[in-house]
Amino acid sequence: MKSISLFVERESFVHGIDPITKLYYILFAIIIPIILPSFTISAICLGTSIILLIFAKVMRKTLPVYSFVFFVLITVVIIQGLFKPGNETVLLQLGPVAMYKEGLQFALTIVFRVTNIVSAFMILVLTTKPSDLVEALVRKGMSPRIGYVIVSVFQIIPEMMTTMSTIMDAQRSRGMETEGKLLVRIKAFIPLLGPVVLGSLINTKERAMALEVRGFNSRNPKTYLNEEKTYPNSRFIQAVMLVLTVCAVAWRMFL
Amino acid sequence: MNNQSMWSLKFSTAALVLIPVAVGINYIGKFIAGVLKLPLWLDSIGTVLAAMLGGPIVGALAGAINNIIYGFTDPISFVYAITSVAIGLAVGILFYKGFISGWGKAMVAGLIIGLVATVVSTPLNIGFWGGQTGNVWGDALFAFILANTDSTWLASLLDELVVDVPDKLLVVLISYGIYKGLPRNFVQLYNNNDKVETLD
Repeated sequence: MKSISLFVERESFVHGIDPITKLYYILFAIIIPIILPSFTISAICLGTSIILLIFAKVMRKTLPVYSFVFFVLITVVIIQGLFKPGNETVLLQLGPVAMYKEGLQFALTIVFRVTNIVSAFMILVLTTKPSDLVEALVRKGMSPRIGYVIVSVFQIIPEMMTTMSTIMDAQRSRGMETEGKLLVRIKAFIPLLGPVVLGSLINTKERAMALEVRGFNSRNPKTYLNEEKTYPNSRFIQAVMLVLTVCAVAWRMFL
Repeated sequence: MNNQSMWSLKFSTAALVLIPVAVGINYIGKFIAGVLKLPLWLDSIGTVLAAMLGGPIVGALAGAINNIIYGFTDPISFVYAITSVAIGLAVGILFYKGFISGWGKAMVAGLIIGLVATVVSTPLNIGFWGGQTGNVWGDALFAFILANTDSTWLASLLDELVVDVPDKLLVVLISYGIYKGLPRNFVQLYNNNDKVETLD
């Protein structure tokens, strides 16, 4: 069964940072360019994230995500450069089409904003095992029942995908067409989806009973299967990020 | 239909177990739409079903968790968690008020939910992408309106509208069909005045 998460198991210092600190880093990478809106600051934030991704040895895994994002960003650059309201200064004239300076500047802001946020999230997603993140959050006070719900998604989806491929083969062997005109393809949607959905919904009843028998609703404090991991640097990194944020606010207000 | 328990924060085990399945159904819906190369996303069937069965809070929770989990395969979807929450809430409220009780009404509800999703997504699109959605047809319309008027908001709203309304309409109709096909003793599990049989 194929896992759906993008997590990559590697040995690196980024993998050794605790998940909560990585969450703070996402917040940090989003807030700093809002406090100090300049291209230099955005570029520094983006650069930091990319350096961390390189150190985590996961750069290759980021390429599919980046290529999707860049595909959309190219259309942003073209559309804003050509049509943004308030375009005045012509930068580039190609026959009848003109690219404008204001639109391109605005598009550049968006390019930085999007790549910045996506990179910060990828540090969390590519270097943190989902179950570690959930466990860290539960230790911080999240309800263990919600924790169970999140972790079980990572089990249920591969299970449902296996059922799905069985059903797809079964329906095809009965002559269902999955290619051709739009109407043919739309008609195929229900016979594919229906059995998986009904089956998995009905299974929830058994799952609920199995959980209740095992004390899922018990009010006693829950214990953990794994011992709590200690992360020596997390305090320090969080403090540095806090100081930098305060400095950024001060910079914005007094300079 | 019991209105008192609509906003209850005490989840039964059955309602909690419904959430991962809802996320799975969303995933499968999106996957099949991809395999069949349909021009829609169809990735919120699970959220809608969870809201129909478990009420607005379970629907909203399913929507939020759905986008958080998708975020582990595609970080952009974290941003749209708010839209999913709004869809879950809207379906749950409409359904618990008894509004979705026939195919005609389900169509109207689908349109309403499409509008809700559009209104919530548009500010996110403007803040994140400068107004675009990433869907080819919608973005072509966006460029056309931006070239002819001065309003990014109008262009972005219509961009989202042409993509979202047909999608959500179809999603609500499919979910309603599935809901009607569910065995009654299963639906009853979620419908007994906040009381789930426990084995005490």
